[in-house]
Amino acid sequence: MLEKTGIPTSDDLKAIKPDKERLKKGPVALIECFRKIPCDPCFYSCPFDAIDEFKDINDIPNLDYETCTGCGNCIASCPGLAIFVVDYNKNTLSLPYEFLPVPEKGDLVWGLNRAGKKVKKAEVVRVKDPAKNDKTAVVTIKLPKEYLMEVRNIEVGELNG
Amino acid sequence: MINTDILVIGGGPAGMTAAIKASESGAQVIIIERYHELGGQLIKQTHRFFGSKKEQAGIRGISIAQELTEKIENHSNIRVMTEATAEGYYEDEVVTISHENKFKKIKAKKVIIATGASENMLAFENNDLPGVYGAGAVQTLMNLYGILPGEKVIMVGAGNIGLIVSYQLLQAGVDVEAVIEAAPKIGGYLVHASKIRRAGVPIYTSHSIKKAIGENSVQGAEVVELNDNWEMKVGTEKVIEADIICLAVGLNPLSDLLIQAECEVVYTPELGGDVPIRDENLKTTKDHIFVAGDVAGIEEATAAMLEGEIAGLKAVSEIGYSNENIFEELNRLKTELNKLRSGPVGKVIKNGIEKVRRGNYVGKNRYSHLR
Amino acid sequence: MDDNTIVCRCEDITLKELRDLIKEGYTTLDEIKRALRLGMGPCQGNICLDIAAREICKMTDKTMEEIKMPRKRPPVLGIKMGELAGDQDEK
Repeated sequence: MLEKTGIPTSDDLKAIKPDKERLKKGPVALIECFRKIPCDPCFYSCPFDAIDEFKDINDIPNLDYETCTGCGNCIASCPGLAIFVVDYNKNTLSLPYEFLPVPEKGDLVWGLNRAGKKVKKAEVVRVKDPAKNDKTAVVTIKLPKEYLMEVRNIEVGELNG
Repeated sequence: MINTDILVIGGGPAGMTAAIKASESGAQVIIIERYHELGGQLIKQTHRFFGSKKEQAGIRGISIAQELTEKIENHSNIRVMTEATAEGYYEDEVVTISHENKFKKIKAKKVIIATGASENMLAFENNDLPGVYGAGAVQTLMNLYGILPGEKVIMVGAGNIGLIVSYQLLQAGVDVEAVIEAAPKIGGYLVHASKIRRAGVPIYTSHSIKKAIGENSVQGAEVVELNDNWEMKVGTEKVIEADIICLAVGLNPLSDLLIQAECEVVYTPELGGDVPIRDENLKTTKDHIFVAGDVAGIEEATAAMLEGEIAGLKAVSEIGYSNENIFEELNRLKTELNKLRSGPVGKVIKNGIEKVRRGNYVGKNRYSHLR
Repeated sequence: MDDNTIVCRCEDITLKELRDLIKEGYTTLDEIKRALRLGMGPCQGNICLDIAAREICKMTDKTMEEIKMPRKRPPVLGIKMGELAGDQDEK
């Protein structure tokens, strides 16, 4: 249970999953923010107005998957680091990363699941300069499809000796 | 004696916005701060803040501190006194301070008390071993002085402070062995919890620390599971190795000056301890004294900054510095504050505030027996 | 909990000393403060008073609201005699 462990359950995750048709169309954001807190920067970060304006600042963000282009602008805007972008065409996952060293394109990193367990090695295909997002890097890694919904963090260093 | 229009005690988020708001109308403001720079807890907050984008959400605490400090420095009618500690509040409304090792007296037309809070301590065996820290001290060492507190940490408390400091420790390269929490549920925001969980930190709810282990310093801790009545379950003890035990078990409002000034205070668990009875403009039961921030009830910085603005604005208006838009501006700030508190987290705060509204309260002042 | 657990770090007071005193009938913080110096160290009770108050609640079946707190007097924090005596006020 999320409240006891910090790990979202499959029931929690059901709430955010765009359908298969949408996933085929290209990159899309996944907002893993499951409980009401007073927070709204994601709404302001979206250049396509795909996130509904908050009637109540405590509302859970509502993303329109059809309008979302998967541009990833929202990833570094989220103070909870709870937004990810998956691309089922290119088999990539983009995630926020606030640790040093920041990986570089071509590096091999460990993909960690929501419990922090190493589940799959992955290649870094893109890194957005942390300086452009007030020190938060956005790292894109390449993963087999079946891991795109499982991996949510990376461990840098070990695999590059 | 130093005379001024407004004296703000405390240079954290609440005190800084109070000083800025009060000075904008032309009043002479003095702000005193114990540390050698302004910012309060903000100067240790390297993470991005929650809240409303309009009120600095998404910005890191350290950046907010910088911005507010610059604003204050640009106001010629604000005098900043750092390394200044308020020592006493007397019945003729004189505040004594210790400023750069000199004893001074200040008399202001209105005083805004924004002293913040202190950390709670926990009683457990060997809690006096070196290596047992408050979360605030860990943040000070790490984020202000750039000193690692240790190599392996056990965090006690899964409220927002415990979760955030765990994350900051991980960023500094320290291993967080476990976060333990006595309550059956994580108290802080779950996005913070998920963030450290996916970095591999286990969170044990319904667990408490039984004792610290170590000869001359902490080498680990014995933790134990709690039952539904929060009692230790015999036989569930386990040892976790660590050289730091970090306590993040809540904050207590620093109400000493309010009590000296004989403002009515009420023990209100929802707000963290003894907090002043106040009206919606943050004015206490004393006409001279306003409050803002954690001293008025433990909350987060966004709320503290809004409270500071309200108190600052109202205080100057009462001494003749009002401008035409004051009522609109006060209403706007109160609406923002109300929005912030409209969720499940804010509900508890609102319940607490309802109890200490002027006129509502019928309970006991724990200090009144000495009057 | 072990009786040697420290409740007041400034004055090195243990849980056993506190509990023994409550058992003897010292059930207010003011009495305990006078007997043990609890809350009279550099931190002025910030750390220990809450812990002691909860212990009184447990042993005497009181609520925190009913616990009377010791008076708070200036100076809030320690101050040097020279500082107090010096004529260094701004005009």
